[in-house]
Amino acid sequence: MTSALDRFLHTDRLPHIWCAGCGAGMVTGAFLRAAAKLDLQKDTTAIVGGIGCSSRAAGYLDFGTVHAIHGRALAFATGIKMARPDFTVIVFTGDGDGAAIGGNHLIHACRRNIDITCILFNNSIYGMTGGQASPMSQEDDVSVTAPYGQAERSFDLCRLTEAAGATYVARGTAYAGRELERLIRDGVRHKGFSFIEAVSQCPTEYGKRNPPKGAIAMLEDQRDRSVGAKEAAHMTSAELEGKLITGLIYKDESAPEFQESYQRLLERVQQDSDGGS
Amino acid sequence: MELWYTHLLREKLDQDSLLVQGNRASALGALDAGVRFFAGYPITPSSEIMETMARELPKVGGVFLQMEDEIASICACIGGSLTGEISMTATSGPGFSLMQEAIGYAIMAEAPLVIVNVMRVGPSTGRPTAPSQGDVMQARWGTHGDHPSIVLAASNVADMYRLTMAAVRFAQRFRTPVTLLADEVVGHMRESFSPEKAGRYRLSSGDFDFTENYAHPDLVREVHPPHQLGAFRHPHVTGLVHDETGFPNNDPQKSAEFLRELHDKVAHHRDELCLYDVKNEGRGRVCIVAYGSCARSARAAMDLAQHEGLPVEVLHLYTLFPLPVEILQRVARRVEFILIPELNLGQYAREVRKMAEQWTTVVSMGKIDGTLITPRELVDRVSDLVGKYENV
Repeated sequence: MTSALDRFLHTDRLPHIWCAGCGAGMVTGAFLRAAAKLDLQKDTTAIVGGIGCSSRAAGYLDFGTVHAIHGRALAFATGIKMARPDFTVIVFTGDGDGAAIGGNHLIHACRRNIDITCILFNNSIYGMTGGQASPMSQEDDVSVTAPYGQAERSFDLCRLTEAAGATYVARGTAYAGRELERLIRDGVRHKGFSFIEAVSQCPTEYGKRNPPKGAIAMLEDQRDRSVGAKEAAHMTSAELEGKLITGLIYKDESAPEFQESYQRLLERVQQDSDGGS
Repeated sequence: MELWYTHLLREKLDQDSLLVQGNRASALGALDAGVRFFAGYPITPSSEIMETMARELPKVGGVFLQMEDEIASICACIGGSLTGEISMTATSGPGFSLMQEAIGYAIMAEAPLVIVNVMRVGPSTGRPTAPSQGDVMQARWGTHGDHPSIVLAASNVADMYRLTMAAVRFAQRFRTPVTLLADEVVGHMRESFSPEKAGRYRLSSGDFDFTENYAHPDLVREVHPPHQLGAFRHPHVTGLVHDETGFPNNDPQKSAEFLRELHDKVAHHRDELCLYDVKNEGRGRVCIVAYGSCARSARAAMDLAQHEGLPVEVLHLYTLFPLPVEILQRVARRVEFILIPELNLGQYAREVRKMAEQWTTVVSMGKIDGTLITPRELVDRVSDLVGKYENV
């Protein structure tokens, strides 16, 4: 069985490691469809993953791919983008990789507004290590490191990245694959730091301890909790309690992109040093 | 290859030699060796390396990044390295600790890069402005797992220049991270040196000419085919144990072979990697084995002792790891004592003892008060050793 998207996959690396019902394949599928629409070139596209279930996606994709260390995918990607401005650089990360251990790199990549697209698979749990709490676990969520329920609050990653300086911020879900595909496509096209939170489901590690049970119920829950960003603008915070604001949340095309600012700096310095010698 | 960078600098100054600070000399060596990518985070006493790169790299179109921490710095360097850039970072003990996980990644992924660690007194914040050699074993074993290391040590300003070049060369030829150790005194002292003379380096271990053919040296044969982004069709790079395709491989035999090859590529080339100089060879019952700023004291102590009728041999090590086994054993066979002065409590002495104690007595002379070991202290220790021997 082959599909038009197989050309972007290392089919010899399949089957993938993800569990039945996992959302990571759905998010990766949305990315692949976006990649086809964008006609991403394999030789000049670098995909960097950190460590975790989501980051494993990089290993199945037939681009230049880097499976980096835990939490540091954005730092690797920053080096790649600065060395090769002509590359399209995309980071695959998860809620543990990107929002916990890699949180500092996330806010600084936003601050720089470097032209990288970061797709953060948020399944509210550490799946690969066996179901520990993540900073995106919700209050009272049960996990093996929060057996009596999570006492901490979680982030709103879209508000965090917008405040930190990202110039394209969006949230999609594994359930709404077509919308996620569009958000990823537009995020890659956007010149600047694009952050896309892809809400995903982990029936194996999250779902077995928390309602709703099973992948289908979890996907339906994503659907039921989703509120479009435009609609949400007219809702009160009480009405938005427990909802997922989806779609394009923030976009700014006027802010300077870091790589371009650096190129301008190089031109200025080189002109000055030519004139001075 | 022309040392065009320092050449320009000297033309501008109209001088044959340059009076520069050790840290700055390291940055100049990097620029002359073709480093065009630097990512770092400020830390005393190494910051002048970063500051020089911030000033100079944009002039030559290079990438300079001040990252949010040392972890991000070395990871950005690895990212640059994966695209084929010669990348470098500089730090001191606390920052070096933060870099350790990524150093292991670079070893596993065979990503060349240079790390300069200008050592200060530790542990923890310690004494940021006092010299130390406390990171010798961190440089060897800091990252997790069983791994090879290439570690060089600079003892003066010219060393900072040429050993940075050597580090670039080794990093590229062996496709692995190379650590250059200096200490606060070497990093901050100012001396004059001639880049051309410093680049052509005559040592007991062999002559080195960094002035030519090191920008893209041949790879050693044990290196796996490089997986460079953009250079050939879509490679995969991972820190997982992998095979020559770049993809993970958990086959017990293949994964052991792969790890063994990482070690072999360094171990098989000790002749090339181990830089050292022997002074007063075969003349004296004591050999001082020294590196870094202690080697300066050792050389001065040799002259002072000679003057006092006490011949001493000195083995000055520029490469700490891989361990220069052959020369250490040769020296051990001919002297009664090996004396090892260090600004730590005997980290390297333990390494030497392991391989030399069957032939000679290895004496550690450690100092951790943040001051240098003086030539006088060394001569007194030597005469003490020889005297004791005569009283037996």
